[in-house]
Amino acid sequence: MWLNTESGGVRKNASSGEAHIAMRMIASFEIPYRQFLGPEGRETETMPAFARDPAALLPLYRAMVLTRTFDSKAISLQRTGRLGTYPPCLGQEAIGVGLASAMEPNDVLLPSYREQAAQLWRGVSPLEILLYWGGDERGSDFAGPRHDFPICVPVSSQAPHAVGVALAMKLKGERRVAVCCLGDGGTSKGDFYEAINLAGAMQLPAVFVVANNQWAISVPRSAQTGAVSLAQKAVAAGIPGEQVDGNDVIAVADAARRAIETARSGGGSTLIEAITYRLADHTTVDDARRYRDDSEVSRHWELEPIARLRRYLTEKGAWSKADEERLLVDCAAEINAAADRYLAIQPQPPATMFDHLYAQLPAEYAAQRQEAAAEADEHA
Amino acid sequence: MPELTLVQAINLALAHEMAADERVLVLGEDVGVNGGVFRATEGLLQRFGRSRVIDTPLAELLIAGMSVGLAAEGFRPVAEIQFSGFIYPTLDQIVNHASRLRNRTRGRLTCPLVLRSPCGGGVHAPEHHSESPEAMFAHVPGLRVVIPSSPSAAYGLLLAAIRDPDPVVFLEPTRLYRAFKEEVIDDGAAAPLDACFTLREGRDLTFVTWGAMTRDVLAAADALAADGIKTTVIDVATLKPLDIKTILASVEKTGRCVVVQEAPLTGGFGAEIAARLAEQGLTSLLAPVVRVAGYDTVMPLPRLESRYMPGKGRILAAARRVLEFA
Amino acid sequence: MKAFALPDLGEGLHEAEIVAWHVSAGDHVVADQPLVSMETEKAVVEIPAPWSGRIAKLHGQPGDRVAVGATLVEYEEAATGDIGTVVGTLPQGATVASTAAAEPPGERVPTGIKATPAVRALARKLGVELGTVAPSGADGLVTRADVERAARALSEAGPPEPLRGVRRAMAGSMTRSHAEVVPATLTDEADVEAWSDKADVTVRLARAIVAACRAEPALNAWYDGKAVARRLHKKVDLAIAMDTGDGLFAPVLRNVETRDPADLRRGLDAMKRDVLARTVPLEELRGATITLSNFGTLGGRHAALVIVPPQAAIVGAGRIVPRIVAVNGQPVARRLLPLSLTFDHRAVTGGEAARFLRAMIADLAMEE
Repeated sequence: MWLNTESGGVRKNASSGEAHIAMRMIASFEIPYRQFLGPEGRETETMPAFARDPAALLPLYRAMVLTRTFDSKAISLQRTGRLGTYPPCLGQEAIGVGLASAMEPNDVLLPSYREQAAQLWRGVSPLEILLYWGGDERGSDFAGPRHDFPICVPVSSQAPHAVGVALAMKLKGERRVAVCCLGDGGTSKGDFYEAINLAGAMQLPAVFVVANNQWAISVPRSAQTGAVSLAQKAVAAGIPGEQVDGNDVIAVADAARRAIETARSGGGSTLIEAITYRLADHTTVDDARRYRDDSEVSRHWELEPIARLRRYLTEKGAWSKADEERLLVDCAAEINAAADRYLAIQPQPPATMFDHLYAQLPAEYAAQRQEAAAEADEHA
Repeated sequence: MPELTLVQAINLALAHEMAADERVLVLGEDVGVNGGVFRATEGLLQRFGRSRVIDTPLAELLIAGMSVGLAAEGFRPVAEIQFSGFIYPTLDQIVNHASRLRNRTRGRLTCPLVLRSPCGGGVHAPEHHSESPEAMFAHVPGLRVVIPSSPSAAYGLLLAAIRDPDPVVFLEPTRLYRAFKEEVIDDGAAAPLDACFTLREGRDLTFVTWGAMTRDVLAAADALAADGIKTTVIDVATLKPLDIKTILASVEKTGRCVVVQEAPLTGGFGAEIAARLAEQGLTSLLAPVVRVAGYDTVMPLPRLESRYMPGKGRILAAARRVLEFA
Repeated sequence: MKAFALPDLGEGLHEAEIVAWHVSAGDHVVADQPLVSMETEKAVVEIPAPWSGRIAKLHGQPGDRVAVGATLVEYEEAATGDIGTVVGTLPQGATVASTAAAEPPGERVPTGIKATPAVRALARKLGVELGTVAPSGADGLVTRADVERAARALSEAGPPEPLRGVRRAMAGSMTRSHAEVVPATLTDEADVEAWSDKADVTVRLARAIVAACRAEPALNAWYDGKAVARRLHKKVDLAIAMDTGDGLFAPVLRNVETRDPADLRRGLDAMKRDVLARTVPLEELRGATITLSNFGTLGGRHAALVIVPPQAAIVGAGRIVPRIVAVNGQPVARRLLPLSLTFDHRAVTGGEAARFLRAMIADLAMEE
């Protein structure tokens, strides 16, 4: 029980005989924190049922490594001028993989712009993500998860979308869930508060996952809010909030499974705060040394999510050197192939700027469309 | 024959389309139990129930943003913003998301929402209740901006807006809500979007206007007609996309144009019309295109409101200036 | 460049194979961040970065074998500059923009005619030159009615006839003269009662001009308005204005001051023949120092004529007509030759002009 209410009563004053209402607590709250797999790769709490068999964790491990391989490649492409500004997700692989692994295919993911891990699990292709950051709208025309929302740049503005999606699911009587991801900075925004407020008011099938990576560009988590935890902002919305070790993919998956099941069965919304650390710069053009110490970053490498799971799996005999090598080679091959395809794709013809402006382009813009199609690129 | 006020016509259109299309939802503050502060959604909750008519918490940004989510999942949300001054928080969701969702997903996700709001002054309201924000929205690619000027126009245009597969900002002139009645038949016939309506024809001068100012322009046209000056009155109705062809064709005949808007002069939508006339109709013009508009001031509080609002007098002065130019 | 060599991996190995890089050139890495996964006998190990810094270069591709002690990664020495953004690429330029305005374009004098575009289009359509239309609108605005009125007037006048050849040339030279010259005109009459009936008027006029040029050389000169300089001539090359069916010609009689009357007459006749036959060579039309227009042969008394630059003067002779004049207080009929001297007042004074004319009159008054 995360919320306590105590009722008071009317007490007669012994000497004066007057009746008055006693002072009473009308609400207090508790925010639990959970971890199952510690940084050294050891079990710190009894594994949840789904994670007892290490083999069940292999897909999660592979997905995290694939994500990191993709992330690395994307950065490399940006450094060589073949990709635009890119926000690395280094160190946050467990959050995306953990939450996405708990979703059903026809649930809806509403990401921020650092959810590569979740998107890749959900079937967005590496090619599509590269197209998006390479500056091509076709990257958001997902062939796989047709109902997932595209990457969202205005921070937190996906949160109201999420409750709209969740409300739609509830109105249609569907057993589907909207999963909304945002960062620590996003929890300071009105969009977030308004959305979780509605989620609580209408008991919507929505799960909010806050990836708290401690940094909003250069603003540390401590400057973002006076609240001790971001999870407790849920209390103001009347929904449960909990914290997990965001670098423990099992803890993330566990919390996500419970929250999604609650939402799916009509039990309403949950806020999960996943504690992690942004191991790379905010984007490929940011230089984090301007505002944080390298030694702090080095310390957090000891807590990173992939190494700890690898140690655990290796110790359980579920992962070998050959497995590791094969995985790294396979991931490299898959990501390199995607990068090659991305590099070979020609930009869309300029007239396509008009083709999805409206269902049917109004006559008023036909002349502009022709002009755009005919003119040479004067900035080439 | 049923004679309805503009707000009743809105109500009728909503009821019609909610009955015809189960995807249509109404949401906003006080729209359910209270039927809307202007009674635009009166009776809808009783008729269609809580899963079709939703009283939201007090959060305009949320109202717009959740409508994006609802629309992407197959609904046709008709969201109400209670007063014109409260439409501004929706700009982020309308501009950054609603207007672009189809474009940025190459058509995979679309956003068939309608954002309804009262607009304009002349009702002695407190501050922030008399805004004319149409130019801001008309500036945004991917949106439609529609302003009815009469009960019959409101009925037909709202039906069209709800049925349109793209986002529509539907601004309802507050001072016309109950100002006069018109015959409105509940036949479910949508009015054409993206088209101007020519309310009067006359070869001496073309008036171009929209919203509540249409009434004042018609009054001015009557006064001119009594002096033997015959004017055309064009109600733009859909500001974006703009049907400039109708306006150009008229100015080709009359050579003189006066644009009338309640909104402040600078950067108002009248400037767009004047610019297009200069670009595409220059050799037809016998006189400059003159705009009658609100002053470039904050809409004053009610004691001075009538001194701010353009009216028949200022419209006639502009018309005379244009007629006597050469 | 600071190099990081592959450290001893233990297991007695001398080399290891690169399986996968985890960083790229250009990355800023921190100490302990995994740089690369390498395969040894027993495991795939992650090699952590030894220091924080920016990676300059990676050595080796996946599949390559790297010896222990060989350079694996190079770090940049110098700190890199602040790009100054977190999204996109801002163009960087070191040039300092000049605030000086560009050269103003060539003078474009506005015509100053006020008319709306519709009225201008109408004027074009009706063939009306806006500059010729009297505006009746406020503030000088040309109205539609003004244009229509002008069009009506033009249609009554008939279609315009473009000027060609000699007429066209005259229009041009008169325009130029008007633009440059500052003319003033002095008139008088010469008493030619003493002349016989057979007097050769043109020759007498030519002789009188020579005499006057001697008396007042200022009028036998060329004036250069740009240089503000004049060139006095010793010889008199006299242009004789001739009216023909084709237009105005002014062939030049050379060296008039050296020639006797018979020679002058022969010259004049030859010129007239050539002009009428249109065989006058071009040089014969150029270089006159002063001009004579004997318009009196056709009619007229005095005239303010048009000077042909660079000449400084033109003499006009009107019709010889008998008139009653006072001689010793008594009315007497005398034949009078009206004279007009138009001179360029930039180069010639009124006094010089007056003396020139007086000298002409004195010469003309003689019997022979």
